[in-house]
Amino acid sequence: MSQFVFATAKYASGDWESAPSLPEAVIDAVVRYTTIDIAPTGVYVDLSSHELFNFPFVWMTGHLPVRFTDDERRNVKQYVERGGLLMIDDHNHDITGQFHKTANEEIERIFGKMTRLPKTHELYSCFFVFDDGPPNTHHELNGYGDDLLHKYLDAVLVNGRIGLIYSSKDYSSEWNFHAETKKFMQQDPTKFGVNLIVYALTR
Amino acid sequence: MHSLAERARGALEWLLRVAVIAILSWFLVRTILVQRHGAVEDAASATLAQKLARWSTVSSPARVHVRIDHPPAGRERDWLAALPGTGTEVDWSGPSLVPTAISVEPRVDPARGADVSVAAPESAMVVLSDTLGVLDSARATRTGIRGYVPKLRGTVDAIVGPVVARAARHDSLELRRLLVIGQAGWESKFTVAALEERGWQVDAHIIVSPKGDVHQGKIADIDTAHYSAVLAIDSTAGRYGDRIAAFVKQGGGLVMWSTAARARGLAALAPGSAGALIQDEGDVPPDSAPRSALELVPITSLSGDAVVLERRGGDVALAARRVGLGRVLETGYTNSWRWRMAGGADALARHRDWIAGLVALVATSGRHAVPAAPSDVAPLVTLIDRLGPATKATEGAALDPAVIARWVFGIVCAALMLEWASRRLRGVK
Repeated sequence: MSQFVFATAKYASGDWESAPSLPEAVIDAVVRYTTIDIAPTGVYVDLSSHELFNFPFVWMTGHLPVRFTDDERRNVKQYVERGGLLMIDDHNHDITGQFHKTANEEIERIFGKMTRLPKTHELYSCFFVFDDGPPNTHHELNGYGDDLLHKYLDAVLVNGRIGLIYSSKDYSSEWNFHAETKKFMQQDPTKFGVNLIVYALTR
Repeated sequence: MHSLAERARGALEWLLRVAVIAILSWFLVRTILVQRHGAVEDAASATLAQKLARWSTVSSPARVHVRIDHPPAGRERDWLAALPGTGTEVDWSGPSLVPTAISVEPRVDPARGADVSVAAPESAMVVLSDTLGVLDSARATRTGIRGYVPKLRGTVDAIVGPVVARAARHDSLELRRLLVIGQAGWESKFTVAALEERGWQVDAHIIVSPKGDVHQGKIADIDTAHYSAVLAIDSTAGRYGDRIAAFVKQGGGLVMWSTAARARGLAALAPGSAGALIQDEGDVPPDSAPRSALELVPITSLSGDAVVLERRGGDVALAARRVGLGRVLETGYTNSWRWRMAGGADALARHRDWIAGLVALVATSGRHAVPAAPSDVAPLVTLIDRLGPATKATEGAALDPAVIARWVFGIVCAALMLEWASRRLRGVK
């Protein structure tokens, strides 16, 4: 249980399994660049189950409206307060989309207004350095979704530490590929995923 | 021929004369003994203050015996101790006094609490209180009572029957920083988090890759001027082995997870070696015994000077030893973070307290003396130190000679008057 396990959140509403190859790509990056002891495959963890608390980093994504059950809401609140990091990524990259609206409503209902992470936040420099904040995705640059370049990530902070990140950047599309595909890429797009995990493990 | 009534009165008069002779003889012998050995007076706790004033002004008895049912106040105790200087021997008895002692040590912890230890007879009821009121009560075990007082107000009293042992904090601690070294992982992350929440200032070197690590704070020289303790989460801390060893020998504290004992540079400091991992089952850590659900790398092959602090089943889970001027604590719980994340409602606070407690056992700090309220940490010991050991209550020393003389005179006069009146009333000269 001491090994890092990449966990993807299952929730009662929506399509939680919409980026099935993302864990593989991120795990590959972590193995490639760090000595972090990481499990070779990811797991799915139900947000309403107590098992959630065995995975202090959880990735959550989807396209469809998000409506947490009471159990999910209670668990997410406790999870973040105890030191877990929940990463929520809008697979639609669309701020007018249903996922964005409903997920933000749920987050605000549980935690209140989120904080905008400045580009100087240590999340962007804890391992690889991203001078301009969160790296852009090809889906943003190609004008899909809301046709916007989202320059910031939003977050819920607990004692100065990030407990929840909300992203409109659609890393779920950007990183949803088989790891061996990286050899055909000029740059590894999952490097920011390494920063997310290093931050989660060290802050 | 004398009637039966006259014979009875004659016998009574004879008895009265015998009684008078006996009382006078006893008084005579006692007076001779008193002259030979000196007068003995006594006092009880309730009358001690009055008697002390009398013994120092009106009379100066050769010997006094004090029957103590609760330890006298410092002023009275000192007064008693001074009496031999004026020629009055003092002894005392106090069968109801219970040997009790208390110690208050400030915990090396930003919460500024204190560890309280009480020594009292096994199964004695001990009530702990501070200036504001009762803190707790418990029955003493074979090793007494040990507790933690989060906020110390004034003095702490341990009350056992009539005995009140009182202690005050005499030191103010100057805490240094902590240094956490380990591989990037949940145990290092949540250990740092718990310590920071507790109020510690934490530097950390978290190993992430051969090319770049994560540093928190500006890691200074590893010495007692900068750090109160070092926490070695795993064997990656071995790269600091020589410096950690020098730090501990200098007086610094080291908390090491048992897997860190596998590092060549740290093995010589460890209370024991790391055994085979006992995996957890992923169960929810129960509130009653949260560490029972954690994975354990038991501490084996203990060094001769190691002290076992905690066992789980037959396995050693916590052990400590001294190295040079410092202390080393080894824990076998290698994923205690699960307690914080997956435990019951107050798991976060309890895990934080536990981690802080481990650090407090070994951490060093600067100390400054602070003005403290008067205390008496072991009243019975102090009493024995000042007055000598207790003696048995002295029989017959209950009345002082002046009082006895008045009573003897009264009784003798009454008996003689009765005897004379009886004779006169029946017409005998």
